[in-house]
Amino acid sequence: MNMDKDIIIEVKNLTAHYGETLVLEGISFNVARGEIFVIIGGSGCGKTTLLKHMTALLHPTTGSVVYDGVDITLMDEDQRSTIQRNLGIAFQSGGLFNSMTVGDNVALPLREYGNADEHLIQAIVRLKLSMVGLGAAEHLMPGELSGGMRKRAGLARAIALDPPVIYFDEPSAGLDPIMASGLDDLILNLNRLSGITFIIVTHELESIRKIAHRILMLDQGKAIFLGTVEEALRSDVPRVRQFFERRADDFIVQRGA
Amino acid sequence: MTTHRIACPPTLNQETGRALLDDAKKEPVARGEAILLDFAQTRKMDARGGAWVVALADYAYANSAEFRWEGEQGDVADFVALIEPGLHPETRKQREAEGFTTHVGASALAIAAEVREFAGLVVDATYWTLIGPLEGRGFRWGLWTDELYEMGVRAIRINFLMNFLLGLTIAMMSAAQLREFGLGIYVANLVMIGFARELAAIMTAVVVSARTGAAIAAELATMKVQEEIDALQGMGLNVSQFLVAPKLLALLVVMPCLTALGMLAGIAGGSVWGVLVLEIRLDAWLNQTLSAATLDDIWQGMAKSLAFAVVIVLIGCHNGLRVRGGSRGVGLMTTRAVVMDIFAIVVIDMMFATLFYYVLE
Repeated sequence: MNMDKDIIIEVKNLTAHYGETLVLEGISFNVARGEIFVIIGGSGCGKTTLLKHMTALLHPTTGSVVYDGVDITLMDEDQRSTIQRNLGIAFQSGGLFNSMTVGDNVALPLREYGNADEHLIQAIVRLKLSMVGLGAAEHLMPGELSGGMRKRAGLARAIALDPPVIYFDEPSAGLDPIMASGLDDLILNLNRLSGITFIIVTHELESIRKIAHRILMLDQGKAIFLGTVEEALRSDVPRVRQFFERRADDFIVQRGA
Repeated sequence: MTTHRIACPPTLNQETGRALLDDAKKEPVARGEAILLDFAQTRKMDARGGAWVVALADYAYANSAEFRWEGEQGDVADFVALIEPGLHPETRKQREAEGFTTHVGASALAIAAEVREFAGLVVDATYWTLIGPLEGRGFRWGLWTDELYEMGVRAIRINFLMNFLLGLTIAMMSAAQLREFGLGIYVANLVMIGFARELAAIMTAVVVSARTGAAIAAELATMKVQEEIDALQGMGLNVSQFLVAPKLLALLVVMPCLTALGMLAGIAGGSVWGVLVLEIRLDAWLNQTLSAATLDDIWQGMAKSLAFAVVIVLIGCHNGLRVRGGSRGVGLMTTRAVVMDIFAIVVIDMMFATLFYYVLE
C-alpha cells in the first residue's frame, strides 16, 4: 500500500479544548484509503474527542482535518452535511432513534439520501441487519434490544449507505468474545470486499491484534505512538509497552478538575 | 419440481441487479418451485447488487418458492458469504397479529397490573411520608426544602396571574347577566363563593399539574432510563423514601398555600372589573365580598387542594417509573401524566361536589 499517494484523511496539528481543559494537543497523522486505522489509549485520553473532531461533530481550537483534499473544519453547515453523508458513524451505545423500529433506523439514511426505491431499501435494510446478525430484529424497537444488539444495529445503520469511511467507537466493548470476534471478521470483510476505510477506537487488545493495519496511541491528549501492530509490540515507549502488556500503573492516576 | 435458473451478470451492481429481478418476474415462480441464481460468470459485485439478490430472495419466499444459489467463486464467494444470513427465510418472520380476544385479555391484564403497581406506590408513599419519619426511618429534609422552593415559590407568579385572569373573566361573564337587573354588586358574592369552593382549587391544580406534575414524571422517567433508579435500588435505598416522599410532603404544604393565593388573586381580578366597569366603590365591593365569605366554603377549597396535591405527585411518579424505552418513552409518559392529572382533578372535583352538595347537606 502506497501511503503517500492515497491519503483519505489528514489530521494536521489538531488541538482541542473542552472549556478551559486541554483535551488534544498537536495531533497529526494520515489515514490511507482502505486502511483499518485504530486509535487506542487509556480511558479519558481523548480518543472519542478525536473521533468527533474527525467527523466534524466538534470544532478544534486550532489545526485542521482534511478529508479527500478538503478541510472540513472550515466548512459551513451545508458543505459539512454533504461530507458527513460519506462517513458512517457507529456510536458507542448505538445512537439509535428510540421512536423508530430497528429497521426504520437503518432505513433512515437510505430514505433521506439513498435515491433508492422502497423495495430496494427494504432489501438493503434486511441485508445490513443480517450482516450484523440482527436479521430477526427488524421489527423490534431499540428499547427491546440488549446493549450489544443496539451497538450492532448502530453499525448496520452506519454501513447502510455503503460509505467509503466508517468511524466506529468501541465496537467490541460490552460484547461477548464470540460476538466481538464475529464483528472483527465483519470489519475485515467489509474492508477487503468493499474497500471501506475504518477508523476504530477501541481498548480490546485481541481485536487490535486481529484487525489493525496501523495504530495511533494517545496519552493525556498527546499522540505517543503511530505505527503497525508489530512496531507497537516492539516499541520502547513505556506507555505503549504497558498497554500491550496489560500492566497497571503503580498508582492510580487521578484525573479531573 | 421446476427450477427457474437465472444467470447472474458478470458485474452485479444497482443497475444489473434491478434487471436481474425484472428478468425473474417475467417468468412467474409458483408455489413449491425454486429459483436458482447462478453466479458462474460473476466476477464483481457491490453492496447494492447484494441488496438486489436479497430482493430476489424476498420475491421467491413471498411466493412460497425456494431460493438457492451456486457457482460463486473468488471475491464474489466471500461477498455472498457476507450476505448469506439475509438470504434465508428465517429473517423474514413477521410478528404474528393478535386476535380480538387476545387483545382484550392482554389489555385487561395490563390494566390490572398497572392498578396493582399504583396501589403499591400509594402504600409505599404513604408509609414513607407519614409513618416512616415518625418511626425515625429517615426523611430527606434537604430535598424537601428544595422542592418547596421549586414547586411553591417559583409557581407564585404564574399561579397568581392565572387566577387573577380567571377572576376577571368570571366577573365579566356574570356582570353581563346580573347588570340587567341592577344586581351588579352580587357579582362580588359570585366571585367569592366560586373561587372559595371551586375555581381557585381547580385553576391552581391545573397550573401545578402542568408545571410540577410534568416535571416529576419527566425527572423520574429520565432517571429510570439512565438506570439511576436501578442504582438507587441496588444500594438498598427505597425509591419512595428517596424520591417520592419528599415531593409528596412538599406539595401537601405548597398546594393549600397556592390555592389560598389563588382565592385572593381571583377576588382581586373580580374586584378590578367591579370597580372599573360596574363602577361600584372598592370598599362597598370588599364589604360585599366579606359578607359572602364563609369558612365552610374556604375549607372545601382547601380540602380539595390537598387531594389534588396527592394525586398530582402520585400520578407523576407512577408514570415516570413506568417508562419503557428511551427518550421517546420519557415524552410519552410525561404527556400521559399530565392528561391523567387533569382527568383525575375533574373527577375528584365532581366527587367533592356530590359530597358537599348532596351527602353532607
